[in-house]
Amino acid sequence: MKKMLTAAVAAITAAALAGCGGGGGGDAANVNPAGKVEPRRISWLLSRPANGTVITVMRQLADEYAKSHPGFSLNLITTPDRPSFIQKYETLAAANKLPDLFDTDATPFAQKLARQGRMLDAGKLLTSLGLYTSYRKSALDYQRFDDGSLYTIPFEYQMEFFWYNKALFKRAGVKVPASLDDMPATCAALRRAGVTPIALDGQDQWPLERYVAYQPFRVAGPGYLGKLKRNDAKFGDPAGQKAANWLGALGAAKCFPDGFSAKGYTDAQNLFTSGGAAMYNIGTWELSSLATTKLNPAVRADVDYFTLPTVPNSVTAPNEFVTSSGIGMAVNAKTFDPLVRDFLKFALAKYPAAYAATGALSPTANVKTTIPSDATPLYRRAVDQANSVGTKLAMPWDTQLDPTTNTRLQQELVLLVQGDIKPGDFTRTMDAALAQNAPKFFTK
Amino acid sequence: MLPHRSRLAVLVFLTPPLLLYGVAVLLPIVQSLVLSFFSWDGLSDMEFVGLANYTRMLTGDAVFWRAFGNALGYLAICLVLQVGGALVVASLLASLRRGREVIKTLYLLPAVISTVAIAFLFQRIYSIDPAGLLNQALAAVGLGGWQRPWLSDVHTVLAAVSAPEGWRFVGLYTIIIYAALLAVPRELEEAARLDGASSWQVFAHIRFPYIRPVFATTTIMAATYALRGFDIPYLLTNGGPGQSSELITTYMYKTAFTSTDYGYASTISVFIVVECLVAVGLILLVLRRKAHR
Repeated sequence: MKKMLTAAVAAITAAALAGCGGGGGGDAANVNPAGKVEPRRISWLLSRPANGTVITVMRQLADEYAKSHPGFSLNLITTPDRPSFIQKYETLAAANKLPDLFDTDATPFAQKLARQGRMLDAGKLLTSLGLYTSYRKSALDYQRFDDGSLYTIPFEYQMEFFWYNKALFKRAGVKVPASLDDMPATCAALRRAGVTPIALDGQDQWPLERYVAYQPFRVAGPGYLGKLKRNDAKFGDPAGQKAANWLGALGAAKCFPDGFSAKGYTDAQNLFTSGGAAMYNIGTWELSSLATTKLNPAVRADVDYFTLPTVPNSVTAPNEFVTSSGIGMAVNAKTFDPLVRDFLKFALAKYPAAYAATGALSPTANVKTTIPSDATPLYRRAVDQANSVGTKLAMPWDTQLDPTTNTRLQQELVLLVQGDIKPGDFTRTMDAALAQNAPKFFTK
Repeated sequence: MLPHRSRLAVLVFLTPPLLLYGVAVLLPIVQSLVLSFFSWDGLSDMEFVGLANYTRMLTGDAVFWRAFGNALGYLAICLVLQVGGALVVASLLASLRRGREVIKTLYLLPAVISTVAIAFLFQRIYSIDPAGLLNQALAAVGLGGWQRPWLSDVHTVLAAVSAPEGWRFVGLYTIIIYAALLAVPRELEEAARLDGASSWQVFAHIRFPYIRPVFATTTIMAATYALRGFDIPYLLTNGGPGQSSELITTYMYKTAFTSTDYGYASTISVFIVVECLVAVGLILLVLRRKAHR
C-alpha cells in the first residue's frame, strides 16, 4: 500500500503532464450529432457495487444491444470504493481522458466540468430522446446544479428512513420521537434500558453527516444549505447553531455506539439486524436486507420505520426528507457520437422496467416496482411511500459543500458528537473553513 | 583505474537503470517541485502563485502543522518498535541455541501479510463493542478501567495506528540486525568476558559498535518508511477522529484528491521529500558523532 501513495503522487504529476487544465470539451448542447451509428466499445467509469442491480441490468441491456449491433460492447470500469473512484475520476478529468460515460454527483467539481463544456446537457438529451417527462421530478432535481441545469442521468430512486426496533422501544418505554428535539431524550431512555440507541457507520463519514442536515432542513428549509455552501450563511446562524447544539446533545445522550468512528457499514447494519441497536438511519437500497425474510427472524416482526421527525414551527412537511437518486451518470461531450446516443436511447427506454422488476424503485414514474416474493409487509409500505413524497428535498451535505469544507465538517462532527469539542468550537472552526474554501468553488 | 573497455561496460550497464530511476523517481519530484509554485484544480488553467503555497503551508495552515506533529509522533513510535524492538529481539535470538529459525519466521510473518488485512485485524483488536483482543486482555488482568475505543479516543489513536506499522516490520529489521550480530567476532566477546565485562558492556562496547553501520542503514530505512507512512493510518482511521491521526501523507492525499488542490498538495509532497532528506542527514550525523567519540 506504500505503492498507493506513490501512485497518488504519480497521479498528480501524470495529470499535470497530460492535462494542464482547461479545454477538451465538445459541444455540450449538441445532443443529436449527425452521422452513422458505427459500433465500437464504449466505456463507463462507475462508482456502484460491482454486482449491484444497476450494473447487472445495464450489462444485460448492453448485451441485448450488441446482438443487433455487432462490434458494440460496454466496458464497465468499476472501482472498489468511493475514494478510489474519486481519485480515478479526478485524475482522468485533469488529464482530459474521461471515458464516454462516467458517474458523478452534482458536486462543485462536476459543475466546473460542465462549465467547460465537457459534459453533455442531460436535460436536453433526455428531452430529445422523449424520456424527460417520465422521470420523477425529485429524481431529476437531486441531480441538478444550483442554477437548475441538469448534466447527469439518475439510475435509481431512494428514500432514507429511521428504521427502528419496536420491541427495544417498548423495553425502554419510549415512543417514536415526534420531534427531532425529542431524540436525545429517547436515546437516554434507551441507554438506561441497556440498548445502543442508533447504529452508525462512522467510518464512511456520510452517515453522521446526514444528521447535521436534519435540523437546518426543518427549521430553515433547503435554502439554508444553498446559502451556507456559498458562505452567504454561517454555521453560527440560528439554523446552524441548532444543528450544532442538537448534535452535541445527541453525543451527550450517547445516541451512537462507543467507538462509532471506527465502525464500518456492515458493523452498523449487523448491530441493528441482530437486535443490538434500536434505530438505524438508512435508505431503501437496504430494503432487501430489512424488509424481506432474509432479515434475522429474531427481529423481523419488530422492525418498522419512521420518516425524519419534524420540529415545532417546521418549515418543511413530514413527507419531505432525504430522497435521492444516487450518483448520476454523465455523458462525455467530447466523445458523444451517434452510437452513444443510439445506445442510450435503447438502454434508457428499457432500463426502468427491467430495474423495477428487481424490486428496486425506478427513477422514473412510469413503471411499478415488483414486490419480491420474500418481502415482508414493510417492503410494500416503503415502496408506496415514494408516491407521497413532498416537493422539498433534504440534500445530503456531502454532495453540496466544497470538498475541503466538507472534509473538515466530517472531521469536526465526530469530535463534536464524541464530546471532544463544544458546539461553539465547532461553529468557529466551520465558519473559518467555509470562509476560506467556499469562494474557490462558488463564484458570486 | 578501470581499463577503457571496462569503463564502457560499466557505463552501458548503468545507463538503463539510471535512466529508469530518473524517469520514475527524479522526474516526478521535479514535476512536483514545479507544480508547487502553481495553483491548479485539475480543470482550470494553471496559475503561477510563486511562493504562496509555501507561505500558506508554513504560516497559515494549522492542519498541516498538526499533521507534522502527528507524523513525528508516528515516526518515534515506529522507530522504537521497529529498530529498538528489532535490536532486542535480534540480541535475544543471537543468544538462543535452539528454535531460532522458527522465531525468525514468526517475527517475519507480518511483513508478508497484506496491508488491508493488517488494518482489518487491528480494527478488531482495538474494538470496544464487541470487545476486541486488547480490551479483553485488559479486562482479564484486572485493568478493565483502561478499556476504551482505542481508534476513536483522540488521546490513544496516534499510538494505535502507529503500533501496527511497528509490529509489521519488526521481523524484517530483526533479520537484518541479527545477520550483522552474527558477524561480530566471537573472540572479541570472549576476550571481553574474560576481562570481566558484563553482558551490557559486551553489547555496548563490542557488539553495537561493530553493527553500527548496519544499524544506521536500518534506522534510515525505518525512518524514511515511517515518514512516508500512509496506508495503515488511512485505512484504520482516515486521519481521524478530527485530525488526531492525520499524517502529512494522508493530508497530502486528501488535499490532492478530495480538495483537488494539486498545487498545494505538490507543495506538501516537496516538504515530505525535504523532511526525509533531513531525517536521513540527522540520523547519519548522530551515529557518526557517536562513532567518533
